[in-house]
Amino acid sequence: MSNLASDEELPTGVLDNREDHSPGDEPLEDAGHWVRHANLGLTLSILLTAGAFFLAGSNIIYGPAVPIALIVLAIAQMGVHLVFFLHITTGPDNTNNVLALAFGILVVFLIVIGSIWIMDHLMQNMMPTRMEDMMQMQP
Amino acid sequence: MFGKLDLSAVPLSEPIPLITSAVVILVALGVLVLITVRGWWPYLWHDWITSVDHKRIGIMYCLLGVLMLIRGFADAIMMRTQQAVAINAEGYLTPEHYNQIFTAHGTIMILFGAMPLVLGFMNFLVPLQLGVRDVAFPTFNSVGFWLTASGALLINISLLIGEFARTGWLPYPPLSETAYSPGVGVDYYLWAVQISGIGTLITGINIVTTVLKMRCPGMSYLRMPVFTWTALASCLLIVAVFPVLTATLAMLTLDRYVGWHYFTNTAGGNPMMFVNLIWAWGHPEVYILILPAFGIFSEIFSTFSGKPLFGYRSMVAATLFICVVSLLVWLHHFFTMGAGAAVNTFFGISSSIIAVGTGVKIYNWIFTMYGGRVRFEVPMLWSMGFIFTFIIGGLTGVLLAIPPADFVTHNSLFLVAHFHNVIIGGVVFAIFAGAEFWFPKAFGFRLYAGWGKVAFWCAFIGFWVTFTPLYILGLEGMTRRLQHINVPEWGPWLYVSVVGVAILIVGVVAQVVQLVVSIRDRELLRDVTGDPWDGRSLEWATPSPPPFFNFAVMPNVEGEEAYWGIKLRAIETQQLAPEPKYAPIEMPVHSPVGVYTAFFATVFGFAMIWHIWWLAIVALVAAFAGFVVFAWRDVHEFEVPAEEVARAERARRASREALLRKLSEEGALP
Amino acid sequence: MTETGLPASVEAIRRVREDPHRLGHRAHGPAEIIAGAGHGMTGPASKRIIVGYGFWIYLLSDIVVFSCFFAAFAVQRGATAGGPTMDQIIEVPRVAMQTAVLLVSSYTCMLSFAATNARSRLWTQVFLAATGILGLVFILLELQEFAELAARGITPQRSGMLTSFFGLVGLHGLHVSAGLLWLGTMMAQILVKGFRPEIVHRLICFNLFWHALDIVWIGIFTIVYLMGAG
Repeated sequence: MSNLASDEELPTGVLDNREDHSPGDEPLEDAGHWVRHANLGLTLSILLTAGAFFLAGSNIIYGPAVPIALIVLAIAQMGVHLVFFLHITTGPDNTNNVLALAFGILVVFLIVIGSIWIMDHLMQNMMPTRMEDMMQMQP
Repeated sequence: MFGKLDLSAVPLSEPIPLITSAVVILVALGVLVLITVRGWWPYLWHDWITSVDHKRIGIMYCLLGVLMLIRGFADAIMMRTQQAVAINAEGYLTPEHYNQIFTAHGTIMILFGAMPLVLGFMNFLVPLQLGVRDVAFPTFNSVGFWLTASGALLINISLLIGEFARTGWLPYPPLSETAYSPGVGVDYYLWAVQISGIGTLITGINIVTTVLKMRCPGMSYLRMPVFTWTALASCLLIVAVFPVLTATLAMLTLDRYVGWHYFTNTAGGNPMMFVNLIWAWGHPEVYILILPAFGIFSEIFSTFSGKPLFGYRSMVAATLFICVVSLLVWLHHFFTMGAGAAVNTFFGISSSIIAVGTGVKIYNWIFTMYGGRVRFEVPMLWSMGFIFTFIIGGLTGVLLAIPPADFVTHNSLFLVAHFHNVIIGGVVFAIFAGAEFWFPKAFGFRLYAGWGKVAFWCAFIGFWVTFTPLYILGLEGMTRRLQHINVPEWGPWLYVSVVGVAILIVGVVAQVVQLVVSIRDRELLRDVTGDPWDGRSLEWATPSPPPFFNFAVMPNVEGEEAYWGIKLRAIETQQLAPEPKYAPIEMPVHSPVGVYTAFFATVFGFAMIWHIWWLAIVALVAAFAGFVVFAWRDVHEFEVPAEEVARAERARRASREALLRKLSEEGALP
Repeated sequence: MTETGLPASVEAIRRVREDPHRLGHRAHGPAEIIAGAGHGMTGPASKRIIVGYGFWIYLLSDIVVFSCFFAAFAVQRGATAGGPTMDQIIEVPRVAMQTAVLLVSSYTCMLSFAATNARSRLWTQVFLAATGILGLVFILLELQEFAELAARGITPQRSGMLTSFFGLVGLHGLHVSAGLLWLGTMMAQILVKGFRPEIVHRLICFNLFWHALDIVWIGIFTIVYLMGAG
């Protein structure tokens, strides 16, 4: 049964703040906690960003792997932002936030990957008629 | 000063739009004069226009939808009759005018007819079914509605000032680019749809948040009524794909206004990218419409069979399955693009698989009726008509999902018949069934059933007489959107189709008569109990119409079919639950910000359409200023005193107790 | 006319009793309450959570808008129509500067919210102002980039690739500018009204918005600039 049934002083049945959590909000902690959190997030972000810019401008890894490395770094940094700046965690108070995020990521991936895949097929059944078209077929 | 706008924008040479506009303006003026003479303005302003009550907004959405359905139906009548008289002849509509009509018909029916009605039902019902007092963001709800209304207004302005798009309801480039559509028609389309799309997105966000974060105590996910589930799924899709519409139309707008090259066929633009993106919105869009329709039918089948819905959890699973898979099928709208086998196979299979979810639902409805005590009320007639019609529509859809078959029937009247079959047979039937079902809840009296039955049979028969010939014509090779026809053999089928339209007109008239008769006899049809159909979900626990705070005391749900449980307990113990302690209620204050924003959105849209740049800037600044003033307000909520809550609740209890007594005297109780 | 009302329920009670299996309606899962309003049974969440969650949903929809512009860029990045290619229009040092500025602004934005939670008006305003200034620097850098490209005749009207490039980067810039407008309004509100609940709710939303823009920028500098330069 609802814990409110026994508590007649809460007629509207409003939930306690600590049981649920909205993205971006900061649950009550001591003052320094969130500053330390931010510092850690900033440090990790700086490292990842610097890494990305460094990799893009150097020959330290195998050339064709650079785009993949960049994307991995970008995803890692997005994760850092989600965790340290938006406070998305895996706790039970965050389930709805994570589910919404997962749905959003699914939609983004379907649209981006789907569009690329479909548009890649645009000319597949065509004989190139002009030089320009032939150029466009090259990846 | 006035951009491209001058007197030549009024189509003086074309009598049909001119006369129509004159009639519409006269009627509108008449209504305004009537309101002024009767002194109804304060009531309208305070209780409706600035209302943030989800029930009022829901009703206004439905009213807008009904008006637009009539407008769209008028377009349909013109198209059917034009094709019937234009066999080896010119007909009475010029090609330019005819093209505007089929474009307006599609746009209005989907975006300004069906969408507002579906959103109206969700707005009205979701908070009631969840046992809460309002949606998550009441004022934004009002903004959302009024933005949709301003989109509808813009589309109808195009009738008199300028022209509408001639591109079909999805303005495919390069035809819709400036090079081939230099007029303002496509611009009307772009701004009307863009503005109303933002309104729809706001409502979608609102309902998702309401369902996920605002449910009465005990209302866990698997206790929510199926309509609420479908509303959640539908609004998740709105949140997922309406941004795609916004983005796609924004790209086309950039192409048209500043000469960019997203979709041009020169300088590296890619017209197929538009088709790809717009259908990434467009296909989920039809599921946004049909899912709440499924929810409405689920409520009706269960109520009028006197049984809990068969396979409740499979229904929920099927809804979520459709919600996700509908994001994966959009390419079947352009199989003929010429994609390779991998792409066509993937999308063909996913389009076929989505029918499985619908099949689960159909069986659940049939099994709900099986063994039940079925009452053939008007909502039930629509629902049973739906099952029959929708199955055929679904099956022809599966045919079209097979790429080789689609290559043959693409853009033919077979396709036209198919999507009318699912949208009329699914969405429109659901809207009429739901209107009949929830009308007493919204207005306090039932609709007169006799005329409802006439309306149903006319719509059902009229539908089949209209669209069966179109299936046949499609298979015979007739393509869609033909202004005239050069194949005399098609004539007889087109005549039959016109007969069907005539039957449909009788159905529409019957609906109007039903409304008039019901309003006249409203005292006879009065619903004093608040539960006219022996309902099962929480909206029937409120009086009809519900007080603006919905529930004096938030219900405490203890199982599926929340109200059914409460009702059973009352019948078994022959008394209501003990009277609770009443407390004051906080409710949001009314706000003109919705109608204010929409007014400037309309001005902005109009200014952009006619390239009146200064006016567009003024409208934007004014809209922003309005939001700042709104954000600055000090009073957000007002308190309903406990005494008023108690008074309303005691009246409700008295009517329910009277009913219990009456049943007990009749010996109807166990 | 219909003859309905409660007698049908009586009939129905009998039916329910005659159907002990309750097909499709058996009890599900554990019956005890799960903590958390989102998925439990404990009633509506507080306004603060509702506002934050609603804005979260809005942000996801906004990200979908960006995904369409990303998709357009991915499809059209080769469509140069004989005009300049990506590697000819990118200046990595400026992008590095923009990235740094936006990242630090995200950090100060979060500090401002920590100050809000500690109910310090002064520090909230200071950090919000810092966020705004950094955002402004970002926008100015972007304008400088666009102006320099335009001076070289590189405009969106030139080719499909440039259209999708300017569209994507410009959309982000437009969001940042809108955020700056919002930020100014919020600072004025705090000044006049203090930390009233609805203003704190809006600050939560602003925080989310600003961090989300930084997340989008990560995608842009990686996919458009770094991968385009290589």
